[in-house]
Amino acid sequence: MTAAVEARGLVKEFEKGRRTIWQRLRREPDRRTTFRAVDGIDLTVETGEIFGLLGPNGAGKTTTMKMLATLLIPTAGTIRVLGIDPTKDARAVRARLGAMLSGERSLYWKLTARENLEYYAALYHVPPKETKDRIDACLRAVKLLDRADDYVERYSTGMRQRLALARALLPDPPLVILDEPTVGLDPQAARDLRDRVRELQRQGRTVLLTTHYMEEADQLCDRVAIIDHGQIVALDSPAALKRRIRAEDVVRLEIGTSGDDAPLLERLAASASIARSERRNGTLSVTAHCASAREFVPAAFDAVQHAGATLQHVEVVPVSLEDVFLSLTGRALRE
Amino acid sequence: MTDAFTRADLRALIASARASLRVMRRYPTQWIGQIFWPVLLPAVWVLIGQAYSGGGDPRAMDAFAARSGTTGITVFIFVGYAMYMWLSTLLWGPGTELRRNQMTGTLEAIFLTPVSRLVPLFGPTLTTVIWTAFQLGVMSIAVWLLFGIVLPWQGALLSLLVVVASLPAMYAVGALFAASVLKFGETGPIVQFVRGMLSLLCGITFPIVMLPGWAQAVATAMPPTYVVASMRDALLKDASPLDLLPSVLILFALALVFGVLAITVFRVLERSARRTGMLGRY
Repeated sequence: MTAAVEARGLVKEFEKGRRTIWQRLRREPDRRTTFRAVDGIDLTVETGEIFGLLGPNGAGKTTTMKMLATLLIPTAGTIRVLGIDPTKDARAVRARLGAMLSGERSLYWKLTARENLEYYAALYHVPPKETKDRIDACLRAVKLLDRADDYVERYSTGMRQRLALARALLPDPPLVILDEPTVGLDPQAARDLRDRVRELQRQGRTVLLTTHYMEEADQLCDRVAIIDHGQIVALDSPAALKRRIRAEDVVRLEIGTSGDDAPLLERLAASASIARSERRNGTLSVTAHCASAREFVPAAFDAVQHAGATLQHVEVVPVSLEDVFLSLTGRALRE
Repeated sequence: MTDAFTRADLRALIASARASLRVMRRYPTQWIGQIFWPVLLPAVWVLIGQAYSGGGDPRAMDAFAARSGTTGITVFIFVGYAMYMWLSTLLWGPGTELRRNQMTGTLEAIFLTPVSRLVPLFGPTLTTVIWTAFQLGVMSIAVWLLFGIVLPWQGALLSLLVVVASLPAMYAVGALFAASVLKFGETGPIVQFVRGMLSLLCGITFPIVMLPGWAQAVATAMPPTYVVASMRDALLKDASPLDLLPSVLILFALALVFGVLAITVFRVLERSARRTGMLGRY
């Protein structure tokens, strides 16, 4: 079976800085530089899976999605979307692809949901005889059929996101790509949208999504690629990724200390792997990966006491994709 | 699959115009503004013209007729301004619509569909025909109410036919400059410049024989020159359809030239936007 998406050595460079008309007229040297938003990504998304690109803002997720969706031309590398090269036959890719890239911003707020979908159905070349049934089916799929004739401006953010998803489903696409589908949604609306995404998979569609919410990637995706600075730093199922950091528990400590951090961190490191430490306003925050919190926490108390510091807060949490990202990059996802 | 314009694209073009019309209907106060400008702007020039001609001094009127072929200053100027308003709508329309879509985020959503790129370029601005028809109606009533001139119905009908025949050429001119949005993210400065130049060259408020020879030569390559001249001939000189045929044929030829130019420029700039990421910037 053909992979839904294949990318090899994908690179996207953008120009940094600007060159004014005045500078051009005066023939001043071009001081613009380039930066790589995507830096050699290799990716295969299998048919029928939910695949997630997880990374912080600016990691290159959206740029990757835009290249797959034909909105951007790659600087280098090859892409196959449903077996088609989007740089050679962009129109064929667009006809088979359902994409939700700018969420609620992709809608006309002065039109009703049905009017929006009628417009986009025409742009997707849905045959006129099928349009009404297709629109009803898409609205039903996102649970908006009863609000079909309301203006979009009267919708909540969550409803607009769902309508944007309905728009992406209009061409009945085998592949759906979603860029940060739940960003800005309240927990209930986000949960609701995730249910819709799972439903897409049950219908036999492939879903490729980006997110910077680790829980979302963990709960929703069959496989996750962790992306940072335009490169994939790890790619596997969420469970396999979490096993990589060889820890059963994650312990987060907040320590009140005015002395030197180094000896304290050294003592803590004797019984756990210190994934991250940060001092802010007299408080040292430490994230430690350990085999057993039961053994590490008493050792941490001793270390803090020995350093003449105060343990202000202890939190034991299960290993998450956030910890995987931390162990791979030394930074938190939201930094 | 090629970039050919298909029957499905034509349906999309109509759907695009319908969606744009629906949005327009939901901002009813816009129509009020459209009542005043088409009356006030030309009325000021008519009054200036009347003042300069000494309130209709025969010698002044003869001098004007020698240059323009008519003594009907009022209709001459109102026709020129009808052209100006339409030109403004067409030059601003497609670019502004593209820019609005770019800013609201719908441009990317449209470009994600397999529809021909000519649809987002021309579709939403088809509704400008409605604006133009409304403005022409307002101007006709204003000429009658303010200056007591009733336009001959045959001339008015012929003028409307000229307007319809000039649609492809005029849309092509609008589209040519609209494409600049994909490169620069705005259309304002270019449109201001082009509108100013066309107003000067195409004889909006004066006969083009007043221009230097080289400027008159440039004017002959501009569609608005033929539209405004044909409308004046129809309304002021009782021109027959046969008299206007050469101008209409030239308008069709110019539609072809500007159309090909607009599509080529749009395709080049669209590719550039897909390289730079300009489609999604706002």
